[in-house]
Amino acid sequence: MNCYIPENLTEALEIRKKTHAVPMAGGTDLMVQAKKGIGINPAFKTPIMIISYLSELKGIKVEDDGTLVIGSLATSSEIADDERVFYPIRKAASLMGAVSLRNTATIGGNIANASPKGDLPQPLILLDAELVLSSIDRERMIKVDDFIIGAKKTVLQDDEIIKEVRIKPVKATHYFYHKIGTRKANAISKLSLSILADVEDGILKDFRASSGASGDKVKRSRDAEMILIGKPISEIASHIDEFTSAWDRILSPHAMPQYRRESTRRMLSDFLIKLSEGAEPGIYE
Amino acid sequence: MAATHIDDKIRRSDALSKARGEAKYVSDYFFEGMLHAQMLRSTEARADIVSINLPVLPDGYYFISAKDIPEQGVNSLHMIGDDWRCFADGDVRYVGETIGLFVGPSPAVVKSLVDNTRVEYRPKESCITIDDAIAVKGGSLLDGKDDDIMCQLYCEKGHDMEEVFKDADMVLTETFETGFQEHVHLETNGAIVTEEGDSYVIYISCQCPFYVRKSVAALLALPLEKVIIRQTTTGGAFGGKEHFPDVLAGPLLVAESRIHKPIKMIFDREEDMEFSVKRHPSKITYKSAIKDGKLIGTLGDIYYNCGAYLSASFVVLQRGVFHANGVYDIPNTRLNGYGMATNTFPSDAFRGFGAPQTLFAIEMHMTHIARKLGIDPADFKKSMFLKKGGETVTNGHVVEEVMLNEMFDNIAKESDYYRKSREFGYGTGRGIGVSFYNHGGAFTGNGEQAIIKAHARLKKTGNKVTIETGSTEMGQGFQTILRKIAASTLAIPMEDVDYPNPDTSVVPDSGPTAASRSTMIVGRIIERCAQEMKQRWGEGDFSVEKEYEHPDGFPWDQSTFRGDAYLGYGWGAAIVEVEIDKRTNEVQVKGIWTSHEIGKAIDELIVHGQINGGVIQSLGYASMEKMENRNGRFKQTSMSDYVIPTSMDFPAQYYHIQENPYPYGPYGAKGMGELVFNGADAAYCDALERAIGKDIFKIPLPPEDIEEALRNA
Amino acid sequence: MLDNKISFTLNGKMVEFIGDPLRRLIDTLREDFNLIGVKEGCGEGECGACSVIKDGKLVTSCIIPMGAVNGADIWTIEGIRETELGKIIIEAFADGGAVQCGFCIPGMVLASYVLLKDKENPSELEIREAISGNICRCTGYDLIVESIRLADERRRNA
Repeated sequence: MNCYIPENLTEALEIRKKTHAVPMAGGTDLMVQAKKGIGINPAFKTPIMIISYLSELKGIKVEDDGTLVIGSLATSSEIADDERVFYPIRKAASLMGAVSLRNTATIGGNIANASPKGDLPQPLILLDAELVLSSIDRERMIKVDDFIIGAKKTVLQDDEIIKEVRIKPVKATHYFYHKIGTRKANAISKLSLSILADVEDGILKDFRASSGASGDKVKRSRDAEMILIGKPISEIASHIDEFTSAWDRILSPHAMPQYRRESTRRMLSDFLIKLSEGAEPGIYE
Repeated sequence: MAATHIDDKIRRSDALSKARGEAKYVSDYFFEGMLHAQMLRSTEARADIVSINLPVLPDGYYFISAKDIPEQGVNSLHMIGDDWRCFADGDVRYVGETIGLFVGPSPAVVKSLVDNTRVEYRPKESCITIDDAIAVKGGSLLDGKDDDIMCQLYCEKGHDMEEVFKDADMVLTETFETGFQEHVHLETNGAIVTEEGDSYVIYISCQCPFYVRKSVAALLALPLEKVIIRQTTTGGAFGGKEHFPDVLAGPLLVAESRIHKPIKMIFDREEDMEFSVKRHPSKITYKSAIKDGKLIGTLGDIYYNCGAYLSASFVVLQRGVFHANGVYDIPNTRLNGYGMATNTFPSDAFRGFGAPQTLFAIEMHMTHIARKLGIDPADFKKSMFLKKGGETVTNGHVVEEVMLNEMFDNIAKESDYYRKSREFGYGTGRGIGVSFYNHGGAFTGNGEQAIIKAHARLKKTGNKVTIETGSTEMGQGFQTILRKIAASTLAIPMEDVDYPNPDTSVVPDSGPTAASRSTMIVGRIIERCAQEMKQRWGEGDFSVEKEYEHPDGFPWDQSTFRGDAYLGYGWGAAIVEVEIDKRTNEVQVKGIWTSHEIGKAIDELIVHGQINGGVIQSLGYASMEKMENRNGRFKQTSMSDYVIPTSMDFPAQYYHIQENPYPYGPYGAKGMGELVFNGADAAYCDALERAIGKDIFKIPLPPEDIEEALRNA
Repeated sequence: MLDNKISFTLNGKMVEFIGDPLRRLIDTLREDFNLIGVKEGCGEGECGACSVIKDGKLVTSCIIPMGAVNGADIWTIEGIRETELGKIIIEAFADGGAVQCGFCIPGMVLASYVLLKDKENPSELEIREAISGNICRCTGYDLIVESIRLADERRRNA
């Protein structure tokens, strides 16, 4: 047997533990990787478990403390259409692939696939999102940033399934999200960047950035961010070069390095200049 | 029902069946007991084959290769030359070359047989780029030669160029490069071979059923009529199904001669992208003499990368050279064209057929000269337009009134060109660009008379009329155009005219559906057939067949390439406006305005659709469609790697059609399918270079390549 | 646990599939149910030619395994072309010059159907977004966009 179709989470976790079958949600990555051609069934190297029917992994909800919980089977369309979802995630979901792909692809799949070009891990890492990983024996929480350890590499154990994504509300006054795609729609990311800033009484209380498609995984650096955090807005302009240079050092783009580095630097600088000039709170692209 | 008039707004005859999903493309045919085939292909660019180690073939599975070609047959696909082999034998010359065909009932098993075959090679140094070929890397690929020049020609007029350069105020030398382009017809290549009586029948997605027949019959030493080609509804072609279907049909025919069961082979997208013909990459250098604000002479060296076999490359190169001075009256010129053999997949026909490369280069060159002279590019170009009677690069003459001024005025007004040109300036992030172009209609020179001699036929049965021609519908609307011409001439309703997909055992050879010749040449023959049929309408059931008639007064010498290269030209003008995000080099096209002179639009809605589609293909070519070849292997092998425009990439277009009836075409119509591809790329690049403030010398230019242009300039 | 028997609704009728749950939906539709209006353009969910409507949403049938359609409500062009809105869209495509080679068109009709069923008077941008996953190499999209607008107009005036 090379394909299992469990009907509830417990059943799925039992199968997972016993067979290590790879969970397949929307199939938008796995079905393509395994395709063999017209009229030929895809060939998988491992047993597969179709998890589409697990209602425990569906839906989006907000808990009392404001924590956003996105079931791992939530599709990009569902995420993009849900106003409760924090802006960079919603925006990234809305720009992921084609309409039909967004109707099928899931957040869990996008994280587990761990492609450096994946759309959702980048804003999730910006917001310090955590995953709940379930197995029949235990449940554990892990930051998305710690879960993905490299291109196509995660720390998912062979008895685990991603159950949900949890994101605590983050205080922010300014958001920036930009994806450079291979074209204007239905595009794979060439480069993406999210920024979050929280300005209070003229002080930059929080500042975060994350870069997608800029290395083997999403790039973030709290050290670099600390260069700006706590600074008065009036002083930001004088730290832009220091910050962008520090940021540049964490990037490791494989292809088109010059373009990816320079575009990132210019986007960061442009945003910081706006911020230093007292840009209104809101959303920037 | 009322008789159809040529200017009526009508519905395409194939629209409903296609939109309802009823039209049958080749992959939609399923025959009883049908087998499936897949190619075993070369994985080396240039190598000797040491051995082919086949897996054990289960019962009912076959491996077909060169050894299956009978003794009296020849292992070659006859195109324009005979060099392209049906099956590689002894050596391979490009990645993807057909070595053999696995055939059997289960596609999955067939695929596993391909995957489990080990071909041992002795690799040789390969030659991939034009520069490699100029350096004869790895030794000549051509039998008996010491260079890699597969084909060449030159054209000249006026004075000796050395004298012209001495006389010049300024000499400017620039080199331009264009890349591969993949057709991405939404329907991939595919064919089915079977037998009927003592004939072979090939159902195939193609432009030119008679090309396929001619190409494959000699494999089995068959008389042509023993191979019947039935064109199936063709889901886009753009030149990619002009000669390339031969490469599928040949091996299938050989397999059929051994197996005698229906055999189907449909490429999946990855195969179709990685292992199919492409537009010729080019490297074009112009050295130009400028005097008193005019371009007085061009010396052009035009290199096209032809790949491993000739296919249509020499004709493509000729068209490139013949269009190399654009729409301009340049008194002195010497244009050298070289088609270079390399170990890439053979390059072949693609909408424009060699003209887009040189037209891009000359347009950018003209733009750069204008900027050096401090003149608006539009004004400089306008000052150099060819006029009726003007001499072409082949010492021929322009036969029609050239209406580019009127056309430009129309789109300049619509786009507010001059104001924007002034206000945007140079390097401000915004730009508006302009290009002018033309396209010679139909076959080069006297080809229609000397090579093809097209025939077409009308058959009357009761009050219904059937069109019988070898010309194909591939999406361009020809089945509707021809019906409209016939119905309008016969003064009957279009619904009473039928035009089934051609079957070579039924229809006469009307020549290939290519070269923007179908409306102009075959349309005219059908018009003449209809005129006669109308006269004789009362005679009961009968047929009228006519042969192409060459108009007088178009001298041509094919051995020297002198004379009137074409029977007439379509003309175009394009304006494109862009805005660039200076942070990321992302380009937003803000407006597209075009005007095309095509004689007359037989059907405005169809022409409108052709313009829109051609322009977007050209903008894709200039911007996002990047196909790289590394060591003989295409790097982009899927529709996510090789991206073509979506509905979101470009805004709605303004279009203008300039009427200028052409005396030798039906109702005054000329060719237009390729013309509309020929110029938007250069208008885009003009706009882009104004926006970024740097000159552009190559396409495509995705954002990362704009970064390069900014750094290098 | 579900086994290799998959039941679903296809163009309004209950049907059953027995076989490898990893078989692609497109192969089942084309080869087992003879629904040839579902076209394979890319095999990787990129081009939209194989679009079908699954539970009211546009999806690409080339990357959906049969095991994921149990209980689903699937519509292909063969079903949609018999609906009121489907007919209006198809007629508008024919009148508006949306069809050239036709290979992308069944998918394009389905994308239009999903847009128009929920939305009256969509803007040009909304139309372009709705069909942005359906690649067309022939038309440059303008006349498809116009035809969708025409269908919407006719539907509203009907």
